[in-house]
Amino acid sequence: MPARPYRCVYWSRQRIDGTPEQVATEIESILTAARRNNAQLGITGALAVGRGIFAQLLEGPRQAVETAFENIQRDERHGDVQVLAFGPAEQRAFPGWPMAYVEPSQIGSQPAASTSTAAVGSTHLEARRLLDIIDSLAVEPQPRRD
Amino acid sequence: MGSVHSIKLAGKPSVQSRERTPLRQVSSKLAAGLALSAFATFDSALAMVAPDGRILMTNPAFDQLFGDISAEDLPTQLQIESWQQAESAERIVPFPNGRSFKIKIMALPEGYFVCAGDITDQLAQAARDARLVRTDRLTELGNQRLLRERLQDLLESSPAVRNDCALLTVDLDRFKAVNDALGRNIGDALLCLVSKRIRSAVSGVDVVTRLYGDQFGIIQIGRPQPEAATILAKRLGDLLSRPYMLEGQLIDVTARVGIAPLAQAATDVDQVMKNADLALNRARQDQSKDYCVFESGMDETVKARRALETDLRRALALREFSLVYQPQFDLLTRRVTGFEALLRWNSPTRGMVSPLDFIPLAEETGIINPIGEWVLRTACRDAANWPADITVAVNISAVQFAHRTLATTVLSALSDIDLDPRRLELEITESVMLDARGTALGVLQRLRSTGVRVSLDDFGTGYSSLGYLRSFPFDKIKIDQSFVRGTLEDPGNRAIVRAIASLGQNLGMATVAEGVETAEHMERVAADGCTHVQGYLISRPIPPEQVAGFLAGNGAQKAACRDDPFLVA
Repeated sequence: MPARPYRCVYWSRQRIDGTPEQVATEIESILTAARRNNAQLGITGALAVGRGIFAQLLEGPRQAVETAFENIQRDERHGDVQVLAFGPAEQRAFPGWPMAYVEPSQIGSQPAASTSTAAVGSTHLEARRLLDIIDSLAVEPQPRRD
Repeated sequence: MGSVHSIKLAGKPSVQSRERTPLRQVSSKLAAGLALSAFATFDSALAMVAPDGRILMTNPAFDQLFGDISAEDLPTQLQIESWQQAESAERIVPFPNGRSFKIKIMALPEGYFVCAGDITDQLAQAARDARLVRTDRLTELGNQRLLRERLQDLLESSPAVRNDCALLTVDLDRFKAVNDALGRNIGDALLCLVSKRIRSAVSGVDVVTRLYGDQFGIIQIGRPQPEAATILAKRLGDLLSRPYMLEGQLIDVTARVGIAPLAQAATDVDQVMKNADLALNRARQDQSKDYCVFESGMDETVKARRALETDLRRALALREFSLVYQPQFDLLTRRVTGFEALLRWNSPTRGMVSPLDFIPLAEETGIINPIGEWVLRTACRDAANWPADITVAVNISAVQFAHRTLATTVLSALSDIDLDPRRLELEITESVMLDARGTALGVLQRLRSTGVRVSLDDFGTGYSSLGYLRSFPFDKIKIDQSFVRGTLEDPGNRAIVRAIASLGQNLGMATVAEGVETAEHMERVAADGCTHVQGYLISRPIPPEQVAGFLAGNGAQKAACRDDPFLVA
């Protein structure tokens, strides 16, 4: 990308009903769709899942990030979306990852999409941050859902 | 066709034209020849059909149009059978090959004369035009016309169909703010994103339209109502209120939804749309929910409010308002020092109307401004007849402060009546101080510099910000009656009264305990440090003609002769 990439970080509440296996399947399908769409849009990023929370980082050309974000907003498998950061970034944090999957196992939550091939470890700085987001949110009381 | 005189006889010659310009006589043979060559060269598709439906003769244009259809199939596809009895007819006939033809037929003494044209492209263009006038250009959703037409169709359909339909109207809080702050382009782009989110939430048969501005209309079809519409409204409330990202801006708006199930409505599109709007208005007012289902009572509530508003607008001109005065008693000097003016509305049709019922409406509609001015002038005029050391207190609403002329109105009332400004006390509530631009503070300062006194009403019930006490040198703090009446049961209330009284003492402000009803109340608030009391114990509010007698020493108890159903203080 010639211009500076835009970066968006948000978290949301997972709203997938079902057994842990069904949830894992659903997350796997989210990742597959995200990787397919993001590759077309020139977007990279990472998704962390745990304790009923999604934390996601999207980066790429501004309009592409906005398009991807809008598609994600229309997805009813999550809700209570909170944008934590949105703006230009120095460089991509996940170059080459259409959508990296951040393993939740380190934070001791329900396993999800464990067979995912594109998982990054918690040693990655931004991946660690996404996990930190989930960590810090998980101790907060659940916001009202109606 | 026995005697062919003219090729015109193939058509219908008019008697008149024959009289005016006699037709040249030609031989039958020549006429037949001319008719035939005209038939052959005419650029419309023409054919002669026998009474039994067989095609007898066609011209080249006809052959070109229908050449790829076999002679056996063609009469069926032209639907010639259905014209048997017709003298002449014109039909649009769709062919199995996907094209549409306009077929014109004229009955001849034996058989038919057929003229055909391919109007497929014309029809397609008409359909495009019809779609276009029913489409919102910005969002490519339907528009109001489409919504109204579809509603009309559904209202005319069977109860089973109609009962499973609902109209939902959606609008966005804060959309205008987005438009103002970020510009129309972003506002328009936001509306497009909202449209897409709505589309993603509805089913394929539902009708989605933009009515105007940020208002959308959805007809939900084929679902049990009002349950399905409620589920959709919740989903829309969630989806549309999620953040939007546009041009590097993060935008938050809140969607509200009004629901009008078609089953409840009259068979009238306007009524359904009005019902949905009423529900939407209710959803806007009720902050706890972002949707509302129409109920028949809503219409009546709105009608009742409108009737009240009409009466209220008339009441001033018809002199239906009056003032009553409630004395304020100085605990130190043991005498009455002033009166608070209280507004009463005696409507010939409604009877006595409580200020709690009409003041909020008067404030909302702005009628409070002329009423407030009347109260001010009347109170000043009444007070001018009282002894020179007796003050009059007038309540001024926050809405009146939004009106620029308030200071002028007060000062002109004082000078017209020649009342010493120090005898006028304006009672305001904290809401007046909430205006961010500080215009109210400026008005108060200007008035106070002329000698007008200012007191803070209902202290302790609202925000009770001590900052207000610092931002303006009030002459009096009025302690809300809920703390005064409660002193017996609740030690907490007493502590609050004591704290406010001590605060007033230290700030050099008088403190009035409102709602003092018994001698015990008075003893307590006196012990707690209040400087003044107001309430039933001293007197109920009295009409102006009784003020002189009251002050002449008839005594507090004796003056309390008039029942007042709306005692405020």
